[in-house]
Amino acid sequence: MDVGIESLNVYAGLARIGVRELLAGRGLDPDRQANLLMTSRSVGLPFEDPVTNAVNAAAPILAGLDPTDRAAIELLVTSTESGVDLSKSVASYVHDHLGLGRACRVLEVKQACYAATGAVQLAAGYLASGVSPGAKALVIATDVALVDARAGFAEPATGHGAVALLVSDRPRVLTLDLGAFGCHSYETLDSARPSPRFDIADVDRSLFTYLDCLTSSFAGYRDRVDGADFVTTFDQLAMHTPFAGLVRAAHRKMLREAGTSVDLVAADFERRVAPSLRLPAMVGNLCSGSVYLALASMLTHADVSAGARVGLYAYGSGCSAEFFSGLVDAGSARAVQAMGIPAYLAGRYELTFAEYTQLLADTADVLVPAEHRTVELGGYRKILERGRAGRPLLAHTGAKDYHRRYEWV
Amino acid sequence: MAALRRRVLEVLPDLDPAQVTDGSSLKELGANSVDRADVVTMTMDDLGISVPVREFHDVRDIGSLARLLRGHLG
Repeated sequence: MDVGIESLNVYAGLARIGVRELLAGRGLDPDRQANLLMTSRSVGLPFEDPVTNAVNAAAPILAGLDPTDRAAIELLVTSTESGVDLSKSVASYVHDHLGLGRACRVLEVKQACYAATGAVQLAAGYLASGVSPGAKALVIATDVALVDARAGFAEPATGHGAVALLVSDRPRVLTLDLGAFGCHSYETLDSARPSPRFDIADVDRSLFTYLDCLTSSFAGYRDRVDGADFVTTFDQLAMHTPFAGLVRAAHRKMLREAGTSVDLVAADFERRVAPSLRLPAMVGNLCSGSVYLALASMLTHADVSAGARVGLYAYGSGCSAEFFSGLVDAGSARAVQAMGIPAYLAGRYELTFAEYTQLLADTADVLVPAEHRTVELGGYRKILERGRAGRPLLAHTGAKDYHRRYEWV
Repeated sequence: MAALRRRVLEVLPDLDPAQVTDGSSLKELGANSVDRADVVTMTMDDLGISVPVREFHDVRDIGSLARLLRGHLG
């Protein structure tokens, strides 16, 4: 039985700021943009939170399903490091606003930027077990950013939004190579979110563990897949992308370890990795959705019409990592391109630095639980109208007795 | 230290070799986060060693990095 991703959609907010504008505003060296390989970062608005991002990513997928297929969604998992309550899941709100059936498992998972992949793999194993023939699982990686000037060069690389993945036995987007995976996990504090108001990060430790876990998880993959070779087994690669410069360093390290001539590294990067970085460069790091944004980018910009095996790498601080793989073809590219992701991203409102800093102040408390709160669209209505492109979007309108409120606008 | 120095100068080719001293830090020498990760991972590869990430906690400069790596040589 084939199992994998049937549909994939990205929602990365309605606003962005150019990385050059942001670096200039912060007084940071714009030449460093070359290392970041970023053009803009998505920025959240006050009425956007992990729930609205998840719903706004998944709604277009559900709109394309007939009632029977919608009812087949037996599992809803939100993967987030932006939880809104220590007990109540983001998924519970998402389940309601997507109108999913009541015979559905609903839960939230957390392991920094890895968790969505863990959920996809557990869901795939469940679907492949045959205990519920025809079932589907909806896994949504959804987050908001809390970065500001304190984050230094991580600020322009941090995104905002969600990636929705429908996992089923009709894998139009990615057919998983079941059983072909390698995991690597150990405790470390490379980055974390100890409070709903800020993140902490040890940049050197985080880069080191990302690179270390890639080598080690691929070694685990190779132990399970006879003859697997990083250079020749995969036609394309899609990796968790905190910033593209790190992915380039990771690719270089893997080729060096495989004994590839230094002269061949740049061309291999352009052919097998660069297509996966173009959408992330417009959005920034989408946490556990990042590797799937990279997959969407690859399916938008690489030629996979002859069929291709893609190697995927998910890494989450703390840390847990997995290298796995799957098959894509022309139908995969058509399915992802039908979601119109690049045009939507290009249509986001471009903020000035002054608008941006005001927005950071207006959204700083988005994850802080409030007994009562009212969130107004206010002056941000013009950005909503510009970026929505005519489709309904869910907005966070406040809280009453700690119960978060949402409305379609 | 020689292995480390070679990789530092490879990653930062414009650097004056005299600047690579025990008391200097990679960051002060102009290495960005990816450069620093490259220097450490490539030097470990050269030496055939793997140092757990937690052991880098007390590394403050090139001298302390060299001592840590040396400690893992057979």
